[in-house]
Amino acid sequence: MSDLLVVEDLTVTFPTARGPVDVVRSVSFTLGRDETLGIVGESGSGKSMTSLAVMGLLPKGARASGSVRLDGVELLGRPDRELRRLRGDRMSMIFQDPLSSLNPYYTVGLQIEEVYRAHRGGSGKDARKVAIAALQQVGLPDPERRVDYYPHQFSGGQRQRVMIAMALVCSPELLIADEPTTALDVTVQAQILGLLAGLRKDSGMGLVFITHDLAVISSIATRVLVMRQGEQVEYATAEQVFAEPRHDYTRMLLDSIPRIDDPLDEGVTA
Amino acid sequence: MTLLRATGLTKRFAARGPLGVKAEFTAVDRVSFDVGPGETLAVVGESGSGKSTTARMIAKLMDPTEGSLEFDGEDVTRAKGAALARFRAGVQVVFQDPFSSLNPRHTVERILTAPLVYQGIAPNGSRRAHAKELMERVGLNPDHSLRYPAQFSGGQAQRIGIARALAVNPKLVICDEAVSALDVSVQAQVIELLRRLQRESGFSFVFIAHDLAVVRQIAHRVAVMSKGRIVELGDTAQVFGDPRDEYTRTLLAAVPRINPEWDRRRRERVQA
Amino acid sequence: MARYLAGRAAGVVVILLLVCLFTFVIFFTLSPDPAVMICGKTCTPERIHQIRDALGLNEPFLTQFFSFLIGIFAGRDYGEGANLVHCAAPCLGYSFQTNQSVWDMVVERLPVSATVAIGAAVLWLLVGIAAGLVSAVKEGTWWDRAAMGLALGGSSVPNYVLALALQYVLVVQLQVLPFPQAVAFGDDPVVWFQSYLMPWVVLAAGYACLYARLTRANVIDTLAENFMRTARAKGLSPVLTMRRHALRPALTPIATIFGMDFAALLGGALITETVFGLNGVGKMAADSIAKNDQPVIMAVTLLAAFFVVVGNVVVDLVYTALDPRVRITAR
Repeated sequence: MSDLLVVEDLTVTFPTARGPVDVVRSVSFTLGRDETLGIVGESGSGKSMTSLAVMGLLPKGARASGSVRLDGVELLGRPDRELRRLRGDRMSMIFQDPLSSLNPYYTVGLQIEEVYRAHRGGSGKDARKVAIAALQQVGLPDPERRVDYYPHQFSGGQRQRVMIAMALVCSPELLIADEPTTALDVTVQAQILGLLAGLRKDSGMGLVFITHDLAVISSIATRVLVMRQGEQVEYATAEQVFAEPRHDYTRMLLDSIPRIDDPLDEGVTA
Repeated sequence: MTLLRATGLTKRFAARGPLGVKAEFTAVDRVSFDVGPGETLAVVGESGSGKSTTARMIAKLMDPTEGSLEFDGEDVTRAKGAALARFRAGVQVVFQDPFSSLNPRHTVERILTAPLVYQGIAPNGSRRAHAKELMERVGLNPDHSLRYPAQFSGGQAQRIGIARALAVNPKLVICDEAVSALDVSVQAQVIELLRRLQRESGFSFVFIAHDLAVVRQIAHRVAVMSKGRIVELGDTAQVFGDPRDEYTRTLLAAVPRINPEWDRRRRERVQA
Repeated sequence: MARYLAGRAAGVVVILLLVCLFTFVIFFTLSPDPAVMICGKTCTPERIHQIRDALGLNEPFLTQFFSFLIGIFAGRDYGEGANLVHCAAPCLGYSFQTNQSVWDMVVERLPVSATVAIGAAVLWLLVGIAAGLVSAVKEGTWWDRAAMGLALGGSSVPNYVLALALQYVLVVQLQVLPFPQAVAFGDDPVVWFQSYLMPWVVLAAGYACLYARLTRANVIDTLAENFMRTARAKGLSPVLTMRRHALRPALTPIATIFGMDFAALLGGALITETVFGLNGVGKMAADSIAKNDQPVIMAVTLLAAFFVVVGNVVVDLVYTALDPRVRITAR
């Protein structure tokens, strides 16, 4: 069986007043089914642009070159009309800020139902049942009632659960999570990480998890891609990256993160 | 010896309904602590814990509904005029977002000398020399004193914010999520800078943060807040090593950690 | 919700009473004696006193004020004996100039102003929102620049200039339209339409320019929202993405602005009505101010205030219905 996602030599170029700028340069990785790849990097590393390029969601004017294959099928260069059929159905994405990522004017039920109906058709009644089941699956209490709530009536963690329900309603093979826990409190973050890991395992989908937080990556990813200023620095199993980092930048990052289990004086030294 | 003492600080917000129906919300509920000279007290908590409201009250950017605040032996709860000016000269704040808290139209030199002008203090030597000296202390190139905030990176801009706080030689610096917005590599440098400055100048910190790992690196004592109250207050080693409160334990357990086995192997390799 | 509405209604009444009082004070203290104006040049002090008596102007201020208020709700009597005239509620008094009942004048002219306002509103909403939408979607193209340039220029052309220019070109030079006439819709729909066409266009032009720019700005802001990226990530069709996810958030603020603009227009489009000789509330206001016809001025002021204040409440209610985030607090 082939790999689920193969990215080869991906380059993303933005036009600027001073000529084109590459925000992602020659990035390559593969993601197997039933696997979690962590993409880690600081701000400006190009980690979000990489994921948007995979989804075909790059901002206007940006160009992607190289190759992105989902289940052996090339995605780059395909018209949006065709990519649209894959998005939300075979590949989904969740984002950092669940409040602004949900439309405040519609109930969460409608926002989940519309994904299902766009890809599977069917009656409104069916879609509603599916939406309630999806909310149940992500552990939202009282889904029959909450399906008619508006996004602002949920807490931050619940909103991210709604986003996850929306992303998974068509049982995609690939889920891309772009900093999904960064805006959340640490206790809520732990719950969402647990939920994502559990759902991924149950469904056997591939997960790409993007974050700036190495500790989070360590707890969820099997393979890790370290990015810096648009370039791929290190790509290896999580164990290799954390126990035997080969690149100076990775080592520097690992040295920089403050450790909660370290007393004051063994901590950061510059 | 106590520099700052908060006693029973309480902040209630009144929310008005359409018909003037009042609903009260207690953001901070009878919070008490003190900060000694040269000490760093961290106030940690999740969103809605009341830590930012507490920070605003002790910085006197907001009046408490109840309770009192003492600074340097003086009751400043309702301080006005000259007493408030003395307080402002002694207490400075560093905010989370360096860019929105620095005037984009002013040069670094002007930003750094403004606190002196407001406080009516004459700098040692010329203003330019004073600004350059401050920039050097926080690890910025003093030749850049005529640049504008937008010409600096996030970490450098936060250093400007710190330098501005130091301009009046404060006794207490309140850091409200001062390193939260920074990338880890930059964050580590700024934490180290804050620790060095404290060693050099001996001022106190009140460090408001949600990141427990950061707090562990910088605090002498920690106050854990939840739902407006301090649920645990103690030495850093005790709070992290032997937490007494159930909520503190939950909070500490939730912090993601690098696989300790991997981390140990990496350190052994580094030492080898 | 019922309590909320009751509260708002009470607010409306209080504000209208204050407007009444304020207008009354201004006329009582500042304007020339209407009795002198009515009496004319050959006038004796006794005659003035008589007229003042008949108009109720010899009473103390507060008595006059309350008589006016009572008149609105219960009707009132003017004069005494053989000269007694009963003015049924809602009584706004009689015009000093024509002796017509002010209420009757309002009832007669309000439909004209409403016709002007409604027609113009339909026109400016259609043109303004459509132009703004297209501009937003085609942001930065020649169409966008041309439309927004026109909108900017258009909103700086004064009403009366446009009115006179249109009249000159269409009526005088090209003779494609007749000069506006007071014709009821039932009598001659074609002439009715032709008569109102120019006022509609003139009144709508400025608003259309403004609404085009507002719509464009709102739609562009909405397109940049994170939830639009989510909609694309969900694989929704561009039409559904635009119609459902972009339009409602972008147009909701415009609905509230529209409510206020429209309410203000119901109180009379002073310049447009005057230029085209339409007998609406606006022209009535202009005429009464020119002749210092106090009861009429009072009436048009109150009417305008009424529409604005009630319009405000309606806008708030509509906003509550349109934006679920506001709904909770209104409960």
